[in-house]
Amino acid sequence: MRGIKTHWTAEQADRWTKEDHVTFIISPLIYFLLAIGVTFSLLLKWYGFVILGMSAVLLIVMIKIIDPKLKAISEDYESKQKQYLEDLEKIARWEE
Amino acid sequence: MVNFAFLDWFWLFAFIILMLFCGVLFYRLGKRSMADFFLAGRGLPWWLPAASVYATHTATDTPIWVSGVIYKYGLRGIWYTFFSAWCAISAFASTRIFRRSLAYTQAEWQTLRFSGLGAELLRGWIAGWQVFMNMFVLGWVGIAMGKLCRLLFGWPEWIGLILFSSVCAIYVLAAGYWGVVMADFQQGVIALSVIVIVSIWGIVAAGGPNTIIAKLDALGESWRLNPFAFSGVTSGDFPLVWFLTMLVIAVIGGFGMGTAIDWYPEAQRIQSAKTVRDASYSIWSGSALIVIRNSLWAVAILAFFSLYPHIPSTAESEMAWYRLGFEFLPVGLVGFFFAAIVAIHLSTISTHLNLGASYATRDLYHHYFNPKASEKELVWVGRISTLILLLGSFLYGLMMQEITQWLIFALWIMAAGIWLPNILQVVWWRFNAWGYLSSWIANLGFSWLVVWILPEFKVIPVLPDYLQFWSMMVLGALIYIPITFLTKPEDMDRLVKYYVMSRPLGWWKPVREEAVRRGLLKPEDAAVEGEN
Repeated sequence: MRGIKTHWTAEQADRWTKEDHVTFIISPLIYFLLAIGVTFSLLLKWYGFVILGMSAVLLIVMIKIIDPKLKAISEDYESKQKQYLEDLEKIARWEE
Repeated sequence: MVNFAFLDWFWLFAFIILMLFCGVLFYRLGKRSMADFFLAGRGLPWWLPAASVYATHTATDTPIWVSGVIYKYGLRGIWYTFFSAWCAISAFASTRIFRRSLAYTQAEWQTLRFSGLGAELLRGWIAGWQVFMNMFVLGWVGIAMGKLCRLLFGWPEWIGLILFSSVCAIYVLAAGYWGVVMADFQQGVIALSVIVIVSIWGIVAAGGPNTIIAKLDALGESWRLNPFAFSGVTSGDFPLVWFLTMLVIAVIGGFGMGTAIDWYPEAQRIQSAKTVRDASYSIWSGSALIVIRNSLWAVAILAFFSLYPHIPSTAESEMAWYRLGFEFLPVGLVGFFFAAIVAIHLSTISTHLNLGASYATRDLYHHYFNPKASEKELVWVGRISTLILLLGSFLYGLMMQEITQWLIFALWIMAAGIWLPNILQVVWWRFNAWGYLSSWIANLGFSWLVVWILPEFKVIPVLPDYLQFWSMMVLGALIYIPITFLTKPEDMDRLVKYYVMSRPLGWWKPVREEAVRRGLLKPEDAAVEGEN
């Protein structure tokens, strides 16, 4: 997709970018279309199936946009997680 | 009253044995550590917590409530159930930030984000409140099961309350969150299958979609087919401003933590996911299933309305979906339907037993009473807390009739005035513990004033709920914004540590620059696109 970044370094992925902002718009829109699309599809209205189809297309678009970024964040973060968990225990045990 | 055949009893007992088997199977995993007992070792693939999100938020009282709003408002009622849409943004915003914090609970997160006495006060308050809330929800959902059993079998209410919650407690006590999430997966699959079967069965029993639409036309009720049939901009029972307020609360609320009461069980599922990516997808897809489920129910309730229009009693119309199942399913499937209701029930009970115990164990016992406790000891405290929650829920359930009105009010005041502070604590570095604490206290006072006292003395009229929300938001801000600026910012060491670990979105520029100055972030991080 033009204008959408698909290869991320861990540092780039940690920042909030336009891919996140686009996802913030698409994601609630999918829920909205799902709610109406399922309802009218069950009532066998043609526009219900069209709306449902639109929500499926938007879901694919959203995953294409956000998944590469989420993968990069996850891979980098999991490598640091052990240290963070040790710090967390220190706070719980009043050692920090 | 419903009469069960042999096959019906078979389904019920087979299901209960399956659930108990979960407890035995995952007993060894659950007792390994506190992280296992409350978070399944933080190692779950996205689809397991997703099923748990869906199953937990499908309780015995959910179809009663959804039936009530759809029967009353037609398809407009879908928007009363759309509050779960907060997960649409949360899955990619607050979920990501919270998962990176690694906090066991929302109460623990307060001591990572804030520092000093204010943070500790917040942790203690939220932990205590969550123990109480989970016990209350257990009582609420438990007595709903008691009422259903009285309706179906003529049992006294206490039997349904105690029997099924106790069965559930067996696998929660044995395997902790491992038992909860594995049972939730099975329960979610069974519940979704039955919701699809009963809803479609009901639609067919009413003559199919075209007959339902024709009947509604003949009854002069075709407005029920329009989800956007507003009664006016500000007037009537479904004004446009209510709809817009609901959208703002639900969707924008996803940037915060705790803007919806469902955040607290979701927070546990977020931390149990094995990666940030798994956490995001679990919350998103679990809630998407809830949205789909609500639409299935909505059409089934329309079918019920076409069969039984204008039932005057709300208590009776609220049983619409259950009646479709028990009146129209054939013998043999009725038992499967009841087993699914038990599944729906146990998934909610198990979550709240384990979640309430996690606050009691991690935030109260471990943090305040015995910081040096061993893992084995903490697992046992988790089990004892689970048992106390169970017994407390029986008491709540049995006295629920008298206190429901008060507790609904308590729920409302916990949500309305702190909606914005719940977002600010995530997106604004300068918002401090004292600002957040004062917002809770201000909300308590203003909600009494706006909802009850001032209307009672005719100082103001009784406001519609959307106006109550906006009033409390503005009044609360008049308190907590000045307090935030009159008190010191949080300790910069704590803020930098939190920022580097969680990478929150929003207004964090001074903290980000300090992190760069300390060499914890690269210089190019100092100027981030779209952030201040």
